[in-house]
Order: sequence, then C-alpha cells, then structure tokens
Amino acid sequence: MTSALDALPVTQMPPDGHYGPAGKHGVTARIFDPPALATLAARHGAGAALSAAARVELGLDLADAPRLSRANGLTAIGTGPGRWFLLAEAPEDLPAHLAALAPHAAITEQTDAMVGFELSGPHVRDLLAKGVTVDLDPSVFPPGAAATSNVAHINTSFWREPGDERFVFLAGRSYAVAFARFLVASGAAFGLELVHRG
Amino acid sequence: MRIPCPYCGARDASEFAYLGDATLTRPDPAAPDAADAFHDYVYLRDNPAGAHSEWWYHSGGCRRWLKVTRDTTSHAIAGAELAGGAK
Amino acid sequence: MSRLPSSGLVDRTRPLNFSFDGKNYRGFAGDTLASALLANQVRLVGRSFKYHRPRGILTAGPEEPNALVELRSGARREPNTRATVAELYDGLDATSQNRWPSLALDALSLNGLVAPFLGAGFYYKTFMWPASFWEKLYEPVIRRAAGLGRAAEGEDPDHYEKANAFCDVLVIGAGPAGLMAALAAGRAGARVILADEDFLAGGRLNSDVARIGDEPGPAFAARTVAELASLPNVRIMTRTSVFGVYDGEYGAVERVSDHLATPAPFQPRQLLWKITAKRAILCAGATERPIVFGGNDRPGVMLAGAARSYANRYGVAVGKSVAFFANNDSAWTSAFDLKAAGVNVTTLIDIRREVAPVLAARAKALGIDARTDTQVTGTTGQPIGGGLTGLAIRTAGHGGRIAADTLAMSGGWSPSVHLTCHHGGKPVWRDDIAAFVPGGIPPGMTVAGAARGTYGLGDILAEGARQGGEAAGDLGFAASLPALPPTEETPAGITAFWHVQGSKGPAFVDQQNDVTAKDLGIAFKEGFRAVELMKRYTTLGMATDQGRTSNVNGLAIMAELTGASIMETGTTIFRPPYTPVSLGVLGGHHRGKDFRPTRLTPTHAWAAERGAVFIETGPWLRAQYFPKAGEADWLTTVNREVKAVRASVGLIDVSTFGKIDLQGPDVGAFLDRVYINTFSTLAVGKARYGVMLREDGIVMDDGTTARLGPEHYVMTTTTANAAKVYQHLEFCLQVLWPELDVTLASVSEQWAQIAIAGPRSREVLARVVDAGVDVSNEGLPFMGAVERTVMGGVKARLFRLSFSGELGYEIAVPARQGEALARALMAAGEEFGITPYGIEALGVMRIEKGHVSGNELSGQTSAGDLGFGKMASTKKDYIGRVLAARPGIADPERPCLIGFKPVDPSQRLRAGAHFLKLGAPADMAHDEGYMTSVAHSPHLGHWIGLGLLKNGPQRIGERVRAYDPVRGNDFEVEVCSPGFIDPNGERLRG
Repeated sequence: MTSALDALPVTQMPPDGHYGPAGKHGVTARIFDPPALATLAARHGAGAALSAAARVELGLDLADAPRLSRANGLTAIGTGPGRWFLLAEAPEDLPAHLAALAPHAAITEQTDAMVGFELSGPHVRDLLAKGVTVDLDPSVFPPGAAATSNVAHINTSFWREPGDERFVFLAGRSYAVAFARFLVASGAAFGLELVHRG
Repeated sequence: MRIPCPYCGARDASEFAYLGDATLTRPDPAAPDAADAFHDYVYLRDNPAGAHSEWWYHSGGCRRWLKVTRDTTSHAIAGAELAGGAK
Repeated sequence: MSRLPSSGLVDRTRPLNFSFDGKNYRGFAGDTLASALLANQVRLVGRSFKYHRPRGILTAGPEEPNALVELRSGARREPNTRATVAELYDGLDATSQNRWPSLALDALSLNGLVAPFLGAGFYYKTFMWPASFWEKLYEPVIRRAAGLGRAAEGEDPDHYEKANAFCDVLVIGAGPAGLMAALAAGRAGARVILADEDFLAGGRLNSDVARIGDEPGPAFAARTVAELASLPNVRIMTRTSVFGVYDGEYGAVERVSDHLATPAPFQPRQLLWKITAKRAILCAGATERPIVFGGNDRPGVMLAGAARSYANRYGVAVGKSVAFFANNDSAWTSAFDLKAAGVNVTTLIDIRREVAPVLAARAKALGIDARTDTQVTGTTGQPIGGGLTGLAIRTAGHGGRIAADTLAMSGGWSPSVHLTCHHGGKPVWRDDIAAFVPGGIPPGMTVAGAARGTYGLGDILAEGARQGGEAAGDLGFAASLPALPPTEETPAGITAFWHVQGSKGPAFVDQQNDVTAKDLGIAFKEGFRAVELMKRYTTLGMATDQGRTSNVNGLAIMAELTGASIMETGTTIFRPPYTPVSLGVLGGHHRGKDFRPTRLTPTHAWAAERGAVFIETGPWLRAQYFPKAGEADWLTTVNREVKAVRASVGLIDVSTFGKIDLQGPDVGAFLDRVYINTFSTLAVGKARYGVMLREDGIVMDDGTTARLGPEHYVMTTTTANAAKVYQHLEFCLQVLWPELDVTLASVSEQWAQIAIAGPRSREVLARVVDAGVDVSNEGLPFMGAVERTVMGGVKARLFRLSFSGELGYEIAVPARQGEALARALMAAGEEFGITPYGIEALGVMRIEKGHVSGNELSGQTSAGDLGFGKMASTKKDYIGRVLAARPGIADPERPCLIGFKPVDPSQRLRAGAHFLKLGAPADMAHDEGYMTSVAHSPHLGHWIGLGLLKNGPQRIGERVRAYDPVRGNDFEVEVCSPGFIDPNGERLRG
C-alpha cells in the first residue's frame, strides 16, 4: 500500500512531520487555531450602514464580495452577501470589540468553530487541485481573493494571502482531522510538511 | 455542470441542493381555498422541456437560494439570481 | 527478431526485459507490449471471448479488440489490458487470457463446434429454457467457456487520486490537428490543456512520418511539443484519456504510473481529472476499419495503418511476407511505407477496378504485385495457433491463392466522433468519405482534423490552427495563426465496401464479442433490425473496445440487409466513458474509512481514553457505550449505564446536535411560522421543545429552542437533520418571507455540549459553574436557559433540559473547552460515581420516557401521529399547517405513537414487527402499524417498545399480535402508555 494515509487513524490528527518522499518539499501546511473569529451578518437593509460603521470605527473596508480586506489587525473574509468571517490577530473577545457594529449586524462568536490551515510551497496549487473545485490560477484567484466551497466533501472558507503564494483555509473543527487527511493524501506525492502552530 | 452563483462565481453543481420550480408562490393560508391551493403548490409541479426557473441552494458556498434558469433538455444555464434580492 | 534495422522511434539504447505467458523477451523503451511481442514474432496473443479462436494483434491503438492480456500479477493483476496501449516497462509480466490449458492448444476452442448455441441472441434464447437447465447446465458451461480476463483477488495495493483543472481551451488529442490548435491558442496567451492518451504526443505524425516542411512528421511533432512545453500557459498531459463530456466539464484519466512496474513512492497509479474548459477542440483522429470476410480473425490479419505504425513508429516488421487488402488509397501508402522500411510486401489487393495512376505506378516501381477488382475470400492457417499462411482470392470471378503470413487490411477510416455524442449529438453519414462525421456537437466544442473527416495532412494542420486561433479569439485573446508549412499529401480515395460476399468460414464483424456477419443475418431474420436492438441482441459493439472497429461495419451490413441507407440505419449512441475507466480512480482517496469525511466530537479523545466503543451516526463517530472490564456484552454495559444515570448521575456528549443562532427583531415571529407551537411568547432565559413540519404536513424535525435575549434565540436540531433544517430556514427567510429581519448562523462547530442527567446532576453542575452562578431549582428551573461561566471564566450556556427523563442539564462551552468540561464534570461527579454513557443508553432512556427520535421522525409521521397534536397552535399559520389538516393526515384511524410490552416478559421485542389484531390474518389488509423502537429497560427488567398503532392511545391494555416474519417472531404484546418511567415528569422538575 502506497498511500500516506494507510498508517494514520481517522480519529487522530496526523502528527507533525514530513509526508512523502524524503527530500521532496512541495508544500508546507501549518495547522492553527484562529486567535479570534466571529461571523458578521448585516441586518435587514443595513449593509451600507454596516460598511460605513466598519470604515469609521475599525478602519476596515468591508467589501461585499468574496474577498479579503484587512486593517488594524482585523481581517474580513466575504462568505456570502452581507456576510463575513472576521478574524483578529490577537486573542480577544471579538463580539465585544465589534460592539460598534452591533446595531447594524448580527455578530456571532466562532473562535472555536474553525481550525485554520495555512498552505504554502512550490506545489501548493498542485495539492489544492486535488480537492478545490475553484480555479486558483492567479489570473482568476489573485491575492486577496476568497471563496467558500466544498473541498474533498468538507465545507471550507479560504483565501489567498497577499504577497507570496500562500492560501489559508478554515474548516469546521469536527472536520479538522478529515481535512488534514485530505492534505496528506493529496500532498504526499509532492512532499508535505505538517506543522502545528499556536 | 457549473452554476453561476451571483456572489461566489461559477461553482460545481455538487455544491448546490435542488428544490425545483421557482415560479410558485406559497398560497395565502387564510384564503378559503387554501387546502386546494396548498395541494397544488406542494404536489402539482410542471416539468417543462426547455427553459425552467428553479430554486437551487448554494449549501457549499454562500448559503443563498438562487433562482436559476436552466434548459431541462440541455442543462444550459441562462442565468442565476439571488432570492430575495440584495440584503 | 523482426525488428527493422533502423526505423522507428523506440530507444534502442534502452532495452527492456518482459515476459509473456512465462517466457522472457526483450523490447525497447518506447515499445508497447504489442509492438514488443511482434518484434519477438509472437503473433498469437489471446483466445476469443466465446469461441476460443486463436487471435493476434489487430491494431496499434486503443481500439484493439483482440490483444487483451492480464497485466501484472497478484493483487495488481489487471485483466483485459490492451497490449496495443500497454507501455512496455522493464519487468513487465503479462499473461494471455481465456485459454486452457495453454494458449496454443486450447481445449475449449471446441466451442467453435457448438457455435450455433452461442450465436446471436444466445443469452435470451437460453434464458427461455427451463430455469433449472440454465442454473445447472448452461450457466456453468458458458461461464467456463466464455469470458475475458480474471480480476485480481486481493485488495488493490495502489492508490488513486482525483484532481480539478481549469483552462480556456482544452485540446483533446495531440496529433497534427491538436498540436496546431494548441499552438495557435497557446501562442495567443490562452490557458491551454493538451491531452493525449498516448505516451508520445504526435498522433499519426509518429506513424505516417509524412514530411512537413523540411522535416519528417515525428521531428515536426517533437519540435512543436517542445515549443508548447516552453509556454507557461500550456499544459501537456500525455497518458491522459479524455473520456467524457459533462456540461462544460470533461472527465479524463491520467495514467500516472501504469507504465511502471509499481508506482513510485506516494505516487498514485492513476489520477482522475475533472477539467473545466471554456472551449474544447476535439482532435481525436480516426480509427481504421477492418473488412469482413471469412477467416479475417486469424493471427496475422491486422489493420493496414497498424502495420504502418509498427514499421514506422516501432521499427517492427509485422511479417515476413505481407499482403494488403483494401478499398481505399491510404492502405496503398501504408504498403509503400512498409516496403520503404524494409518489410517484404508482396501483394496489394484492392476491391476497386481502378486506382489512382500514381499509386499503381508506385506499386510497380516498388515491385509490389497490385491486383485490383480483387477480393480476399478466405484464409488458411497453421494447424497449431492458427497463424495465417495464405489467402484465397477472387479476381473478377476467378479464384486464386496467395501465400502470406500477414494480411494488412483497410476498409476505410471512421472519425472518432465519440465525445461529440455525449450531449446527445447524432453523427451524420458522408458518402464521399464513407464515414460518419460529427452531427450535434456539445456547446463550447469544435472538431478538427480526421475526427471531423478531414484527412489531408495540410488541411488538418490548417483546420487545427484555425480552430485554436478562433477559440482563443472568442475568449478575448489576440491570436495570430502559426505559419503552415507545406506538407507531403497522399491520395485519400475510397469506395465504400463492407464485406466479401460468399467468402469461406466465419466472417467476423466484432472480434471482441465474436459476432459474425451470419449473426447479423440472424438478427435481421428475427426482427432485431434497429441498430440499438441489433447491438443488444448480437452483443456487437459491447465490452472494452465499444465496437471501435466493428460498429460501422455492423450497421452497414444491416443496412444492406434492410435495404436502407446507412444514414437511415444510424449508429448506436456513444456514451461516456470513451475508454475503460477503473472504478478505483473514480473513488480517488475516498475509500475505506475515508469514503467520506469523519466528524469527531470535541470529547472524542477523552471518550477513546475511557475505552468507548464508537458508532457511525451519519458522518459522526459517537461513543456508543463505555464497556468496563469484565462486562460480558454490550447489553450489560448499557444496563449499567442506564441504572447509573437513573440512580445517580451520568454524562454524554451531545455536541452533534445542530445548533443555529438566530438574531433579529423578527426571530419570534419567524419561529412561530416554522414551528407548530409558539416561540414569540417564550421568556428570555427559557427554552421550549418545538416541532416543525414540512409543507406537506409531515414532521420534519424536533428540538429545543432557547431565548437568550430579546432578539437572540438558539435552536437545536437533531443530529441527522442539522443541515436540512438550516437549509429550510434559509428558504423560509430568503424566499418565503424576505421581509423578516432575521439572520442565521450555524454554531454547531462553535459549541461543545455535554448533557448531565440523574438525581445528582445538579450537585455536579454546581461544582463546575463559577462562583455566584445559581443552579438551584429557583435559579435555573426546568427549561431554563442562561449564559454563565464555568471552570473559571469559560463562557457557557446552561440549559436545564432532559431527554432521559431525569433531572438534567446541557452545558455548552466553546468547542476547544469540551474535553476540559468532560474531565471537570467527571472530577466533580466522582463522589457520586458519575458514569459516562453512550448513545445506546441514551436511546434506552428516551424510549423508557416515550420520547421520539429518528425512528419515529421517519418522514411519514404527522404531529398528531406522534402525540404532538395538542402542541399545535390554532392561533397562527405555520409551515405544514394547511396540509396537516388533510383528511388523510388528520384521520383519527392513523397509526399513532404508543408503548408496548411483551405479554411474556422474557420475549425480546424487535423494531419492525407489524401489529395485527389477535386472531387477524397476517396480511396487508389487517396491518395496524409497526414497532418503531425497542430497548431493554433495566428499570422494568424486560423489553419495551414504541410503535405506531391504529387508534393506539385508545387501546391501552389491549393485547395485539407483533408479527415479524423476517426474523420469525410472532407473539403477543400489550399496548401501554409510552411513558414507562416517571409519567408525570416529577424527576425532571425536582
């Protein structure tokens, strides 16, 4: 049996380490817990007011589109019309921090709901092609582009970081091991480094 | 088949759940003929050969209901719009 | 050896060893198994499907019907592999199939003698005979006699993967048309994928070697491929078969490791590609047709173009004395090529009276005996192995004989239109080229080159370039067409001709399925004349080759019989896949435990540590029970867990319930419309049990919903229906009532939720909440729902709920704190012997309490059926209200939820048993309902059940028959209240 999954139980997070042929380093996957995460959903007819409040109160440009916007340590990822994931770089009570937006939006704490996977390396798009059904070519999915989509039957939200070729995926916590198994199954051929961070 | 989600862009059909005829309106439950009207609404569906307006739910993406115009004979999709307009 | 001295593209510096039927041979890198076998003068490679006739190699490509072998051995054994596309590798090990005891001496070739029994329609005719004959006699005999290779018996040791690709222009086939199409689109800047099933790009350029500009075909192909490879926007995928067109997406299999003995470490054997392309250009080429005549299946009879490929591409002479038999000019060019490569071509037989003078002159110059107006009427062969030794011919009515060990035949070419038909397109017959060309083409696709019936090399290059440029231009790229070099053109005349009348011996149309011209005659006589019927009756065109070499001949012969034109006769429909696709690659890595993602609860590791046995519930793995050392069976364990909860306290992870956060001023009004009961009046800090219906009046789901703030509710759904309910709520909000200001968020992943139940549960809870949190009966009354902190500042939601019927709480904490909460509760409850329990014990307790679950929420039950009739509000409308009032749903005679106990307490109840009145016959007319859930109640000491019984609530105390013919049970049960325990709910409220 040649699949890298064979020795790994489906009930445990694959351990940190190298998967695939020795000396091949195609992809690095860093698994992390988001320090703070919430969903933000504009109330009825309050989209414009919410955008204005986000700009004034947080300095954040909330694009109503599947895109990343980032300012003052906050990252917003569009997940649906009038809906965003908001991530903060530091552990904090995000709903409290976002209180200024509350008149215009439903804010829901989700820090524990998702596990993050940051993927980089020369073969990152080759790995992702094995599960992502969205075109990740830079001409179509440039830095800052985001998507919510099923990857290997797992619902994820992901985006391409500005700068070097780096993608961040958020998957539901109950699916974290399954998503890591997708990475191992699809990345071992290129050499996959799995690292837990934070 | 790819469905052009107005928010997410073209996506694989496997991300969507199908409901059917999008031209129907839920009848007035207080109307005197409500029982018959609901019977029609729930059970009597047209199955046109050709252009059809139908509900698809983008469960794997933006979680919006889309009204998709699809040709049932060719699967060609003429367009898709969000239910309920912009929020 | 019949390797030619110099020609060919094989790498003579890289010899490869291989074996066939246990004998060792040597070939070169660049060979296929077929070319290497021919180079070693192995001409007999298999036995036919039904008649065990000796067969050789007919083709040099994927259309091969005969040369099917078992490749590799052991668990990697792969039956029915076409030797003509199996790329040679060092150590390749192949075995012929469907022969016994050996390939040369096959005992079952006697099948030929019983051929009348196996002719057209034999399956159907045999089935008509008495069933016992079929089972005991015919099937074993036919199974033994007819067949192809043997599947591997072990689990496939290799793995498979799937991947997605996107491009502007997908070019299918890397022959002359495809190379030019890719070049034009690629130079324009479009994202291009060029896919070809061969391991070497170039298509016919590698076999025809006609000159293009100042270089031979293979050199032109190699140079073009090199340029394409240098373009960053072009991806060349060799060993990749595009097998299907699916609404703008294309299925393809890349054979990553099939050319290796075993895949390199961590490499898949094959990769399934789903290619999304804005445009596709089909450049799949054409397939040569055999001619149907007696004895045309002998080893040594092959297609003319194949003989040419073996000479030009593989440097192999297909025989020592080669004759040609044709109705078209291309075979003449093939013959000239063979001669030029040093093969002994003796005779050129053509059915036509006249051929182009240039061809006749060339044959003469090369010393080939050209005989026009001549047909081959039969063949002779060796006594062992059947290899061709000679031909019977007929020239203008006069017979004759020719000695030959090889006959290269050509009945013309069939464009590979298959992929154009995958959206229902019907090919169109063209008399001038005697071939079907694409009819309706899938949207976004165009067809170039031989696949479109364009056969001249210069025309093919031009057509490919033009279509590649147009596709790129349509997509907004500025395309300038590549320069078209002059080409060496050859005549392409043809006279339609299908089979030789009055030839001797069985004349095979479909060699893979052993279908003869005579079988088509039988089908005609018996009325199976429509092509689709003819195909199924005779099996023509079935199996691995899907009739690539036989379809057109078959339907042309049928057309002759019926007197209809070929166009009127039509073709059978080509469906995906174009080429055989292994099931393994369709699954990718989703096999075994990875068939679908496994969801793990927040306390999984903790439960595993405590020895839990897990069970799949949908995608989740949940603790089923927690056995202790010495417990004899699961029932012992479950009884202990139930007793512990009822006597003291237990805990269970209930995080798998769906949890939906609802916010906004209209949430109350919204919930009133989706639940049968009222939620707008629910006080902040309280929870309520709710039932929601589908619009047809049937119960969709149930659960508790709590009001955490004036405009903030949190709903729970059953584990199974979490996604369905969320989707339903979004439908209601987005489609039915967009005016309501309500937003939803799934919080299923955010919160770990643990239930504690039992008389000591309050004391346990009191020890984990933070100081000042009041969990007294007053502070947190039954159905209370509050946000507090636990374990030193951890945000928590406390719900006083009970599924078990005991005093109980559910505690929700952020998911990462779930395991810590479980441990804290265990520590807090140690003094009371707190017992972790699984979903088996939970199931027992809910049945003891008469609570419904998935077995009762079956998609067939109404609220009234389940005893919720009184919950339904009459003051408001809600989803399902109108249709729940239909006579059929409101019928008081409907089976309703009620409890059951066995009259003989030692009897074990079984879910699924049907209820009958005592003395009533066991038939559908007397069916009164069925048992939905059963459990062994440790509290009562016997089995108990819930079930749906006609007029159930009015029949308490009555005995009915529980009839379960599936498991052979038939005994009396007593109807009783479904509340087996604490029917007044005093425990809950205490």
